[in-house]
This record gives sequence, C-alpha cells and structure tokens, in this order.
Amino acid sequence: MSLFSELRRRNVIKVALLYAVASWLLVWIIGHMVDSLGLSAWVSDYMLLLLAIGFPVALIFAWTYEITPVGLKRAVDVDQTQSIVYKTGQKLNAAVAVLAVLGIAAVIGEQLLPEFEPPPPLVLEEIPLKPVFDFSAKAEVPREITSFNLPNGLEIIVWPDHDIPNVVMYNFVRAGGRNEYPGITGIAHFFEHMMFNGTKKREQGEFDEEMEAAGGANNAYTSNDVTVYMDWFPRSALEKILELESDRLKNLAIDPDVVETERTTVYSERRLRVDNDNDGRLYEQVRATAYVAHPYQNPVIGWPSDIENWTQRDLEDFFKTYYAPNNLTMIFSGDVTPEEIYLLADQYLSPIPRQHPPPEITTVEPAQQGTRRLLIETSAQTPLVHIAFHAGAEADPETLHLELLLAILAEGNSSRLYQALVEDAQIALDIGAWQSGGFDPGLAYFAMTLAPGADPEAATDLLLDLLDEVVTNGVTAAEMTKARNLRIASFWRGLQTINGKASALGNYEVFTGDYENLFAVPERLASTTPADLKAVAAKVFSRNNMTVGVLRAPEDEE
Amino acid sequence: MKPALCVLLLLVAGLAHPARLALPDYERIELANGTVLLLSEKHDVPLIGMRAVVRGGSVTDPADKAGLTELLAAVMQKGAGDRDGAEFAEAVARVGGQLSVNAEVEAVAVSAEFLSRDAELMIELVSDLLRKPALSADEFAKERDRAVGLIKAAKDANPNDLMPYYANGFLFGEHPYGSPTIGSETSLAAIAHDDLVDHYNNHFGGDRLIISAVGDFDLAAIKARLSAVFGNWEPAAGERLVVPAPETAPGPRVLLVDKPGATQTYFWFGDTGVAIDYPRRAEINLANTVFGGRFTSMLVTELRVNTGLTYNASSSVDRRSQPGSVMIKSFTETSKTTEAIDLAISVLGRLHDDGLDDDMLVSSRNYIMGQFPPRLETGSGLASMLAFIEQNGLDRSYIDAYGAALAGATQASVAQAIAEVYPDRNALVFVIVGDAQRIRDDVAKYGPVTEMTITEPRFRP
Repeated sequence: MSLFSELRRRNVIKVALLYAVASWLLVWIIGHMVDSLGLSAWVSDYMLLLLAIGFPVALIFAWTYEITPVGLKRAVDVDQTQSIVYKTGQKLNAAVAVLAVLGIAAVIGEQLLPEFEPPPPLVLEEIPLKPVFDFSAKAEVPREITSFNLPNGLEIIVWPDHDIPNVVMYNFVRAGGRNEYPGITGIAHFFEHMMFNGTKKREQGEFDEEMEAAGGANNAYTSNDVTVYMDWFPRSALEKILELESDRLKNLAIDPDVVETERTTVYSERRLRVDNDNDGRLYEQVRATAYVAHPYQNPVIGWPSDIENWTQRDLEDFFKTYYAPNNLTMIFSGDVTPEEIYLLADQYLSPIPRQHPPPEITTVEPAQQGTRRLLIETSAQTPLVHIAFHAGAEADPETLHLELLLAILAEGNSSRLYQALVEDAQIALDIGAWQSGGFDPGLAYFAMTLAPGADPEAATDLLLDLLDEVVTNGVTAAEMTKARNLRIASFWRGLQTINGKASALGNYEVFTGDYENLFAVPERLASTTPADLKAVAAKVFSRNNMTVGVLRAPEDEE
Repeated sequence: MKPALCVLLLLVAGLAHPARLALPDYERIELANGTVLLLSEKHDVPLIGMRAVVRGGSVTDPADKAGLTELLAAVMQKGAGDRDGAEFAEAVARVGGQLSVNAEVEAVAVSAEFLSRDAELMIELVSDLLRKPALSADEFAKERDRAVGLIKAAKDANPNDLMPYYANGFLFGEHPYGSPTIGSETSLAAIAHDDLVDHYNNHFGGDRLIISAVGDFDLAAIKARLSAVFGNWEPAAGERLVVPAPETAPGPRVLLVDKPGATQTYFWFGDTGVAIDYPRRAEINLANTVFGGRFTSMLVTELRVNTGLTYNASSSVDRRSQPGSVMIKSFTETSKTTEAIDLAISVLGRLHDDGLDDDMLVSSRNYIMGQFPPRLETGSGLASMLAFIEQNGLDRSYIDAYGAALAGATQASVAQAIAEVYPDRNALVFVIVGDAQRIRDDVAKYGPVTEMTITEPRFRP
C-alpha cells in the first residue's frame, strides 16, 4: 500500500483541505474585525501563527486517530473491516464545500456591498473626560514615608517611590547668608564649591569622577538660610553615594591652593550673576538697602572684598560648626526602602561626631521707618524697577496668604499687574513677584523690566496704585479660586517626580519643623479666605515698609 | 556547570541587570487629515501632560522677517475662539493650568500641563489656540513692540542668553538656521499684521499636527475627544518647507560683539555638525558627555577646576533635520580672554588626538544611562519625547534600543564619531562678546575679525 493511498484512506488529505479552507475563512473574518473594532494588528498576526502551528498537529492527529462508531481510536487499533473512514470522508467533503461556499459568498458580497463607512465622530457631550483620579480625596501623609534620627543627631527622611529605577538625595545644611557677618559674607556659598574639591581620602575632582562614573549627577545651591546638596543617581549607585557623602562630611580637605583657585571661580560666578547683569546689580542693592540690621542684607555670593579675603581659619571654623550632623536633614526619595537607607546611614553617617549647636541668630530687623529709595545710573536700554516690602518668615501662617495674594497680583498673564502694566499701560515688558521668607522675616519683592524709554516713576506709581487697590478692596472670589487652583496644581506638579518629592519634604521639614505640614497644604488652601489676603496686604504694602530701587541710563544719555 | 544551572544563572543575572531604558506602551493614531495622536495612560498623580507640535517653525520665517513665527506664537495666545487675550489667560490660570506656545527652529510647540479634571477645558483651549486664533491687529502691534523691548532688555543682561542668536547667525549666515528665532529689532520692525495672518494660514493645519498626551485619563475617551476636535482641521494652505542642507563659509573667522564696560568675555566657537539621522548618535553622546556635557568633563576640568578661569564651560551637538552646530562655549574675566580660548581649543585638540579611553567610555555610558530615566518620569516629559520621536520620523527604538547602542559603542566607533562630528581646531568659527577695546587686538589671532556692537539692532553683522 503506497503512502499516498493510505493518506487518502485515513482522510488526511481531506482534513488538510478542510483546515486550509476554514483557516482562510477565519483569517478573513479576523482581518475585518481588526479594522472595524479597532483591535490591534497583532491579533491577526497571532491568529496566523496559531493556525500555522495547528496545521501539522491536525494532520498528525488525522493520521493517528480514526473516528469509529464507539468514539475516537488509534488508527492502528481499528479493525479495517469495521472502519468508517469513508463516511467520515464524506462528512469532511461536505464541510469543505459548505465553508468554501460561505467564504466565496462573503468575498463576493464584500465586492458588491458599498464601501464600509466609519461611524461619524461621537458627539462630545456623550464622552465626558472623567478623571480616573479621585479628586475629592484629601492629601494624606503617605504611609510609606519614614523618618528617623541617627544617634549623632542627623535627621533622615525616606520617601520610597519605585516608578523609575532612580534615587534623589537632598542634604539640607542649616547654613546660609544669614549665618555670615562682615568679613565672611559669601562663605556659606563658598562651601557649596569647596564640598566638591577633595577630602583627606580623595583628590580634588575624584568626588565627581566617582559619582558620574557610577551614573550619578549632583549639584547644590545656597540661599540666605540653607545650603542644599543634591544627588540624582541610579539605584545601583546608592551605597557609593552614601560613602561619598560621608567622606566629604567627615574628611573635607580645605587645601589652601584649592581655596585660591576656587576664589577666582566664585568671582567669575559673581561677575556672571551680579556685575554683568543689570537685574543682579539692582537686586543686590535693594536687599542691602531694605535691611539695616539683619544679615539678610548681605548677598549670598558675598561682597567682593570678602570673597578675596576670608581666611583658612574662617573656613575651618565654619565647616566644623555648620556641617555637623546635628545641623543636617537628609532626604532620600525614589527606588529605595527605609530599611536599606537606615543600614547604610548607620554604617556611613553615624560615625561623624556631633558638634555644639551653631550660635543662634538673634538679630531682629527693626521695623522700617519710612520709604527708602536708591538709583543706579548705568548703561541700560531698558530701565528696571524693584520694589521690596518686609514680610514674614516661612513658618508664619500669613506666608501662605501672601503667596496666594502674590499669585493673584503677578502670576501669569491673567494677573492684575501683568494685565495693567504690560497689557494695558504697556509701560512694562515683564513683571515678577515673589517672597523670600526663610527662618527669619523676608521680603515681598516686585521686579519690573520697563519698556525702552518708559518712566520708572510712572511705573512705580502705577504699581503702588494697584497695591493700594488690593489693600482697600481685597480680592474677588474668582481670583481666590484661581489662586487656590494655581497652588493646588503646583502642589501636585511638585509631587510628580522623586526630585520634587525630596525637595518639598526637605523644605517643609527644615522651614516649618515638620514635613507633614506639606500634606496640610490642600486643606489650608481651602480654608484661606479673601479676608486673610486683604489683611496681609494691609500689613505688608505700607509706604513706611517699602524700598524702591531704580536702574536706568543716565538722564543725559536718554 | 550543568546547562540548566547556566540558564538559571543567566536568567537571574538578566533580572539583576540595571533596568533598561524603554518607553511605556502608547498608542499611535493617524487621523484622516494627517494629524497624529500619541497617547498613553499614567495614573500616579492627577495630572495630564500634553504637547501639540505643528511642523514648520522659525525656519519658515521669510529671510527679512526673522521672528515672525515666534511673534505669531505669542499673538496666538492673545485671544482665540470666543475669548479675548485676558479671558484666555484667565481660563488657563483659573484651573491652575499651564499653557505655553513656543516657536522652535523646526516646529511650533504648545505645551500644556493641567489637573486631569480639567482635560475637557484644556483641550478646548489648545484647539482654539491652534485652529481659531484671533490674531488681532492690536495684540499684534503690542506683542511686536514688547518683543523688541525684551531683546533690548536681554542685551542689558548677561550675554549668555543671546549668544545662540549671534553664533547661529554668524555660523549659518543666510541659511534658515542662521535666522534668530526671536527675531531682531530690525526684522521685527519689518513685520506687518498681514504677514502674521498669511503666515498662520500658510503654515498651520491638521496635516502637520502631532498631539501627544500622557497622564491621568481614559485612553479611549481622550482619543475620541482629540479625534473629534482635530480630525477635521483642514490642511495648511502653504507647502511644507523642506530645509536645505546648510552650506557654511569655512573658518577660521571671528565675530567680535562689543559690549563696552563688560568685565567678562563670553566666547563661543564651533562649526556645523550632523543631522538627527546621524547613525552614531550613541557614540556622539558618549563623546560629548566626556568632552563638555557634565561636571567632570574635559572642558570644566581644565577651564574651571584646574585654572579657575571660569564658572562654567560646555559643549553641545545640535542635531536637527539638517546638520546643526557643534559648539564649545564659556566665559572668563576680560584680561584672561585669550588664555581661556586657547585652553578650550587645546582641549578640543586633545579630544581629537586621544579620544576616550575605556574608563571614560564606561563612566560616560553609566552617566547617560543613570541620568536618563527622570526624563521619562512625568506625563509632560513623556509627551515631549513621544512628539519628538514622531516629529523626527523616528520610532520607539530611539529610546528602547538606545541602551544597547550605548553598550555597543567601542573606543574605535567613538573615535570615528569624534572625527566625523567635532570641528577641526584650525578652521573654527568664533563669536566673542566683550569689551572690544580691551580684547580687539588679541582675538585677531583666531582669524579675520568682523566687529559689531551689542546695541546694533540685529544679531548678524
């Protein structure tokens, strides 16, 4: 008996034919479903693959088994005289014929039918874009945040977030311009540079080389109140980062040669930010004028003669006092667990000895007793006006009120000042407003860049009229809603990233004494009223409390 | 070792390997009018990041009307649909949203970030702004004057911000890449209201729109909404511009911009480089990271750490549809001008001569891989990346295969990229901003000097 006739006898060929026809029909149907139901294209690809795999299986099955009146049996076990393969074959023939007819009819039908019309675009109202996030939920303190103190007083807060395989570290050092006095202004900022310049174990440059080779990056900033060191790194670099941070806190080398090179770098930074920048020059002078007693009068970058003259002894004393573990708060956010941070911190940071707490800053800026004015005449195509008022410290309840008020006055193109000064009067090209409160009372600050040829006096008067208006009449309910929404959105925006989380936690912990205050922001925003804003306006925007600085070209040049 | 154990170990090693770079799943939908939607859900915070990119950009500015696209982008925000300028700004701010329009070199990009509950309103605003801008004559005149004033203000401030306009102008000359995106005092004055309206009609339409959105939404619902809102936007009236390859005048040549009284000199030097389709992207990013792309870079080490000549020095490779610039920039005290420039040139020479050793290569790769994930962390970041990929005719392998490309780079392939991309130290184009009286004679050694003053109402001599 030839193989071919046995294949025929066992209906293998008919099964193959049936399989092919059925597959073709199935693929045709699926293809149409993909188009009209918007299924992914891979559905039909997978179907083809499955059918291709199934083909040999079906043939082997047909070869091996036979349908008998008593059910499925292995072909070799069937008594040939009892075989009903012929009947099965007839059924298979019929099935092939029916499927083929169906398939041909469908294809012909498709040719005859009119082109398929996609349904018209859905009507907008029927598909409201409901947020998936539950907005009515109040911002609760996430349970995964953990904080602990090492025995040496170093405070550590951990916020795990496993969204990306990265970690952010913020180290808040409670040392800034506020801790300086004549002779050492700028020294806190200078340390921001020296902390990267070598330890007793590592040469200058090795700190960054090792961190970057491990995939990490870092930066730092200095303000009037704090110096903040930031590392951004992949999780794999975690232990390396702890070791590097511990080394520079424990073993910083203050090499006199390096100090001299770094002085010139800082001077270059000063030229960039202050001396060659009209806004920078005016800002420095206005702050120095607004404060007469408190160290907030000094520029964070330092006065030039101090940059040139602080001594080795000044640097060593400052480091020992302010970079002590009991003066630091470290935040870790990202792909970490509190347990592993605890173990690494205990190993690397616990051995750093505690120091006497830094001296308190007791100077309180006395109440201002009248408007102060200053004028810088210099080469300038566009005049500048800066106006500062004494306001509150970061932890004062009124600080949030003032923040909302400044948003209404100057945040974005719809704000009162932008609309009045830039859009309507067209006297200013741009206007910004912010408050700079820290541990001690700061300033509410307005900065205007005027249109070329505009009169600084007129711009100042216009701005003051607008402030008087808010003192007299307060803000509207609509403005209040807008300011709240601006802050709520920026609250969430801040918590989008591990960097934002670390920054927010650290700032709330350091400046308000408890990171949990961060999560009270939505509720505090909800309970703030227009009356609160009017009250803070009346308190802050008084003429006796004001310093006005103008920078413009000398008058004979105009 | 038994094969089974080998396989197991390989599996474990694979799992322990640092996470690879990959885009999340997203859906790409091409509407009948050519508009492309790129959508992905992300529910960690109640925010949505959205980006609408209209291909074109400031390369479409007429040669004598530089800044037209940027000005149009500003005026588009000053009233659209049923809202005037103040009402439009108020509508965005009232819900705490962020919405901005920027003219880029080869696109106009609308960036929006907002609370997910406000998606309906914000899509309406983005649509109004793109499809129904008022472009009123009053707002046009106001924004034009303001743009001129802001350029003057920038000239009073630290010159770093204006350096790209002087540099590209001098490097690319009459090619569209040489035209300042913000315009100049002269070119802005030449623009009339009709120019603005014509420019909008010719260059804005559904055929060149890409919208990406990533965030806290239901994908099917936002897809339906965006399809309904943008699917019937007609094509723009004008042809889509194909940017020609730049043909720049060879160096050495020097532009000296006089800023009398400046105590610091700001310098830039470079040449044209490579386009977005340059095949050795991983290699060039590895090289640039080491050369001038991070704090321990060769440039910062020499110019800041070892010599204290500057606060910062950097290099970059700007890849566009056509070759952009490859440049080095820094600044220094006026009396140190040539010392710093000479040193920067010698560092460029060292890059060519020595390339990257194995340690540098590994460090650079780790750095790029370690610093990349935060770029894909937020909805806005992802939306920007998806739009960038679509705009440049790339696909998700641009990110997904990047890690493998970085891992596959060798000293030899990096050396080849350096030779292909970084300029010859003897044929550089320089732009130097500083007190000309004090540095004029010294900088002549770098090549023939063209001089202008910073107060001249243009960025090109």
